[in-house]
Amino acid sequence: MPDFGDHVDNGIFSQILEMDESDHDRDFSEPLVFNFFEQAQETFVKMDAALAARDLNELSTLGHFLKGSSATLGFNKIRDSCQVVQQYGHKLTVDGVSEPDDNVCLKKIAEALQTAKVDTAELEKKMRKFFGAE
Amino acid sequence: MMHHLDGGGNASSHPDLGLLFDLSPLPSLLLSPAWRITRASARFLDEWHLSTEDCVGQELLAFVQQQLSPSPIHLKFLTTAIDDAIAARAERTSMPMNTKRSVAWRARVIPFFKGDELLAIATEWQEGPLSELNLLKDEEVQPGLSTDEAFRILVQAVKDYAIFLLDTTGRIATWNTGAELLKGYRRDEIVGKHFSVFYGKEDLASKKPEMELEICMRDGRVEDEGWRYRKDGSRFWANVVITAVYKDGVHVGFGKVTRDLTERKSAESRLIAAYEESEKLKSDFLANMSHEIRTPMHGMLSACALLLDTTLSPRQRDIVGIMDESGQVLLQVINDILDYSKLASGSFSIHSDIVGITSIVTLVVRSVQTTLPPSVHFELFLAPDLPRSVQGDPLRYRQILHNIVGNAAKFTEKGSIRVRAGVQREDHDSYVVMTEVTDTGIGIPEAAAAGLFTPFTQFDATTTKQYKGTGLGLSIAKSLAELMGGSIGYRPNPERHGSIFWFTARFKKIKSLEQIQDWKSKLIRKGDAILALPEADVVKLRQELAEVAPIKSLLLVEDNVINQTVMLVMLRSLGFKNTALASNGSEAVNMVRSKPAAYDIVLMDINMPIMDGHQASRAIRDVGIQVPIVAMTAYALKGDRERCLEHGMNDYIPKPVDKKYLIKVLGKWLLHMKDYRKAFDEQMNKLRGYEALTLGPKGHVAERLQQLSLSIQNEGEGKRSASGLPDVSDKSAEDVRALEPHGTQSSDDTIVGVHPTPLIEHHQTSSVVSSPRFEPLLPPVQLELLDSSLGMGITATDMITIPPAQGSHTSAEAADSGGDTGTSANGTTATTPLDPPFDSNHGAADVIHGDDSTLQP
Repeated sequence: MPDFGDHVDNGIFSQILEMDESDHDRDFSEPLVFNFFEQAQETFVKMDAALAARDLNELSTLGHFLKGSSATLGFNKIRDSCQVVQQYGHKLTVDGVSEPDDNVCLKKIAEALQTAKVDTAELEKKMRKFFGAE
Repeated sequence: MMHHLDGGGNASSHPDLGLLFDLSPLPSLLLSPAWRITRASARFLDEWHLSTEDCVGQELLAFVQQQLSPSPIHLKFLTTAIDDAIAARAERTSMPMNTKRSVAWRARVIPFFKGDELLAIATEWQEGPLSELNLLKDEEVQPGLSTDEAFRILVQAVKDYAIFLLDTTGRIATWNTGAELLKGYRRDEIVGKHFSVFYGKEDLASKKPEMELEICMRDGRVEDEGWRYRKDGSRFWANVVITAVYKDGVHVGFGKVTRDLTERKSAESRLIAAYEESEKLKSDFLANMSHEIRTPMHGMLSACALLLDTTLSPRQRDIVGIMDESGQVLLQVINDILDYSKLASGSFSIHSDIVGITSIVTLVVRSVQTTLPPSVHFELFLAPDLPRSVQGDPLRYRQILHNIVGNAAKFTEKGSIRVRAGVQREDHDSYVVMTEVTDTGIGIPEAAAAGLFTPFTQFDATTTKQYKGTGLGLSIAKSLAELMGGSIGYRPNPERHGSIFWFTARFKKIKSLEQIQDWKSKLIRKGDAILALPEADVVKLRQELAEVAPIKSLLLVEDNVINQTVMLVMLRSLGFKNTALASNGSEAVNMVRSKPAAYDIVLMDINMPIMDGHQASRAIRDVGIQVPIVAMTAYALKGDRERCLEHGMNDYIPKPVDKKYLIKVLGKWLLHMKDYRKAFDEQMNKLRGYEALTLGPKGHVAERLQQLSLSIQNEGEGKRSASGLPDVSDKSAEDVRALEPHGTQSSDDTIVGVHPTPLIEHHQTSSVVSSPRFEPLLPPVQLELLDSSLGMGITATDMITIPPAQGSHTSAEAADSGGDTGTSANGTTATTPLDPPFDSNHGAADVIHGDDSTLQP
């Protein structure tokens, strides 16, 4: 198991890897992980659109959606950004305090989305290397 | 020299004074009292390139004007100095008067008096550079010190600030002591260099110095904080102010003042770090506390619950009941202290459950009673109008009461403690219940009574040592009473020494049996013991699960395809081959409704498009299908579990799903709970017996029955076609027993009923009663442990004897008071004090208990 740094919760991700037939044959985890990246890209596109439309509800739903799958794979950084998107989509801070200002919420979401994109790109690179090397 | 002149009485013995004046090395003019030049020294004439005739007889000001062409202000410097000197009868020096020849002259003025009569004025002239600080020419300056000089000295002497001038291109023009100390350059090293030498690489790369000058030119001034570098390369955190300097409207350079804020900066960051550290420590501590305390508490309470399920003598049952009760309260108190900030911020929540006030009061009294000396006795008055069951938060009610009764017990050494509960007010929807505790203890001094409910106060510092406590109890009780729509108060005991504490709380009325039914499903927590299983047992549980997995049918409801995939593979790895998929709540509801008995368990995501998990679960429950539903959600907040349970779900798995936890939850529901379908069979058998009685008068009952029949029919098909599982009621107990890991007998023999039923009032005659709940089978390992360590065989059925509920509780209330069921190892049926919503049918009971075997789905 390579070190993915704080991108990945090793406990959860190794649980995924254990579902493979063997360490040499990652027939399960490899497509799963790359499906995730596709899903992430699609979600980002939708988030960008929702952000442009200032649709906080939609952003929250999308945030929750991607949070679910990133959490399942143990991709913590992406999950955390999605949590931010979800929370501010609900007009709440990360600590659950109400944030009435739409502009603040949209700004926070835009930042989190940017972070999520960067993290996703970085992680995808690491994952390509990981699966490519094996 | 002046003294000589002054003492002119014996001048003849000295050289001619006029000659001496002429020979003075200073350029000098002698003036008449009317400021007319009477004599000019040779040096003066030489320096000013004049002859005696050019000077003598001239009026001074006109002369200076003619010779130097100073500005009127500069000429005034001279008159001021002369006026001052005459007024003070002392020497004065004028400020420099700039001339067109790029030099400035200043005059030292010495007046000569004889008595009060001014005889003459001597002036000595000194040449100097042009005065620079023209801007300040109008200011009054201390006599004898020119503005120029004053500022030069001031600036030069300042050590704490680097103050220097830059020329228009940013090259350093002046340098003070502060600058030298701060930056480490000596004046001769730095003057002429560009000020960007103080900046770091990054600042230089971003052209910060140039930008600062630009901004300064535009705005007149610029201020900046950042790292600057000394000559030796070390850096300091600087506050820099640059000001554009103009002379006569022409930009001549910049003034730059730099302060070293390194100390302040590091103090600030130390403070911030300390603050962050302490915040982190605090939350870590709370999180750890919460986990470290709650985990063993849960273990203890689970063990207590298991112990209560074994055969116990009445006395043992009492003791275990008290252990359980105290443990629950302790757990609650721990939670409260951890949540204290929540209370303070008003975000504390009150849950909605069934409350059996009488049983709570009784249990609290009994648990406190054991701590009392024989000299104190309890009196318990429960008003006859007290409702048996109401809707509210039983834990909070119990907590307030326990606190007050506990206090009474703590402070009462002899006499009595009287607990009285009754309805204070009643309206259409609710009761206000008044609970009052009167003791004959030490009482409370009048002065202390006001602060009783303030946090962290105890009424007497001396009692703190004698009577332990956090001082939080009453303030929490107050907040809780207020949250429950009531209030709390104190008054002295009018009869004798002591206190009366009372509190009120508002409870909703329970309107229908169905309402009770809704809550009952969530009161079932006993199966939770399995969740505390240690690692080794999980391995075993997984094996057990693998044995039954092939014949189990699951429904996974999940909208995210990634999560679907992972869950499916995880389930497959546990041996589950039959897992159906629904990608939203609506699909799930359709699938379950169309095959009401097809699935052994439903794993339900909460947040989904079209219909979420909460709505879906309600929709499934609404048609009376009691399949276990386990919520899966990435919500991790306290209360989420409760919310899921409120919506009719049975359990909760946090996401991301941990395999071990999944094993435990599946084990709990698939191995240790009775099959909900079996419950249907039993209920149907019962219902068939009652059909004649119930059909007819009550329309909704008939409707209900019809619905039930329908589900049963569906179930029959579903069971055989979907799972191939033999119907348990077909006497195939041998097969079932094979699935029981140890072959031990189950302690559970209660008939499981899950349907709300309107039959409660009609059939209470049978000796066999049932608890309308899922009952967990005891995990065999723990049973053995209890068996050997406590020396208790699992033998006879035991009746629990908690008064005053015998035979009159509603089932929900009994669940609240412990919800015990008896055990049966010998084939007899257990009796509980629970009212049977169903009077169990003998036929059904025979099926279950006839061969002494455990029933497994």
